[in-house]
Amino acid sequence: MYRFSPAMDALIEGLRCLPGVGPKSAQRMALHLLERNREGALTLSRSLADAVERVGRCQQCRNLAEAVLCGICSDTGRDPTLLCIVETPGDILAIEQAGGYRGRYFVLMGHLSPIDGIGPEEIGLPILEALARDGEVQEVILATNPTVEGEATAYYITRMLEPLIPRLSRIAHGVPLGGELEYVDGSTLAHAFSGRQPVRGS
Amino acid sequence: MRVQLQPCYLLHRRPFRDNSELLDVFSVEYGRLGLIARGLSRRRRGGPLGALLQPFRPLLLSFSGKGELLTLTGAESGGELAPLHGEALLSAFYLSELLLRLLQRFEVQPALFTAYGAAIADLSDVASTGNARLSLEPALRRFEFRLLEELGYAVDLSTDASCGAVIRADAHYALVPDFGFREVAAAASPSNASFAGTDIMAIAEGHFDGVSGLAAKRMVRTLLHPHLGSTPLRSRSMFETTRGPRAQTGEEIEAGGV
Ligand SMILES: [Zn+2]
Repeated sequence: MYRFSPAMDALIEGLRCLPGVGPKSAQRMALHLLERNREGALTLSRSLADAVERVGRCQQCRNLAEAVLCGICSDTGRDPTLLCIVETPGDILAIEQAGGYRGRYFVLMGHLSPIDGIGPEEIGLPILEALARDGEVQEVILATNPTVEGEATAYYITRMLEPLIPRLSRIAHGVPLGGELEYVDGSTLAHAFSGRQPVRGS
Repeated sequence: MRVQLQPCYLLHRRPFRDNSELLDVFSVEYGRLGLIARGLSRRRRGGPLGALLQPFRPLLLSFSGKGELLTLTGAESGGELAPLHGEALLSAFYLSELLLRLLQRFEVQPALFTAYGAAIADLSDVASTGNARLSLEPALRRFEFRLLEELGYAVDLSTDASCGAVIRADAHYALVPDFGFREVAAAASPSNASFAGTDIMAIAEGHFDGVSGLAAKRMVRTLLHPHLGSTPLRSRSMFETTRGPRAQTGEEIEAGGV
């Protein structure tokens, strides 16, 4: 196989750390950056180094943050008695974009996966427990994914927080808005049935 | 090899190379297999394939290839199951971890496949009726004893392996993995290191609740220990910590699931 140069090879290899980028697309990206957009390449390399150096974790909620606290935790306009537990910072983005939620978050950075050795410590549950013991949080909303691991994680956290938090709920998972029942897969439908809401009489 | 719509359970999945996942599945005719799956998050009618490929639900998988890792070529639901949750769900992880730890790739175990499906269905029943602890325990023991049997790790529950005498209700026995029971003087042996004849007899008849249930659990641990090695089962220790904050009484901890 023909090789351009050691630096080029290193760049191609480096780009492959991105999800969904195989050797071919890494090659295409590298050529694009060096042939057509050197300025963009420079901006990218600077902001990448900058972000890696400056972005850490929020000490309170484990969200990505540049300061000790993230933008949400330091926002005095947010309701500190309300806490939503999510798996990833991406989930925060999704909930924020949907709008309507004014509380704070706690980011697990994953879910329990005993077979992979990911236990309570790895997803920050001791920090969450300490936060719950502070006594400020009155309501917790569990927004882990509707996968079996997400479900197991929600269950584990429920057991841990039950004695500490007056109100605990799990977000409903069900038929997507605008979805047609016929095309919804069986497990989603089963979930939607078991989480059905009363409309009258109960 | 090219296989169409093989009944399978997904034991585990993890990211693998570019945009792919490595599925560890238990199939009825080919045993435990490693399958590479691509594009699981791609949108399609009825939801992405990745959403269908969840553990503990019956699946029909198509795959092809040769060598250690095969390629997933298709997947369909193999039947519906009430969703697992709570302790039943944690127990299901434990069953899968047992298979992952004890089964070799391509080890064909059709009877064990059936037993796994039955155990998952039992756990799902427990989860949907909410009648938790009592029915959870026997379901787990039934599967574990079946597993011991199919893998050849079971011992004779009817005789003393050292002399061939029939197990007596009023005697006490030490359990030696891969050998069997050997009578010991009751006083010479602490109660948690030996088994009462009555318990062994009850277990032989499939009574996995109450006192003999606790003995059955200890028996399984003893028999599996040499085959699991020194690394503890992770789902079991997680199961125990979730019990921790709630289980105030010693009895409840003792009676705990896996
Ligand atoms: Zn924060």
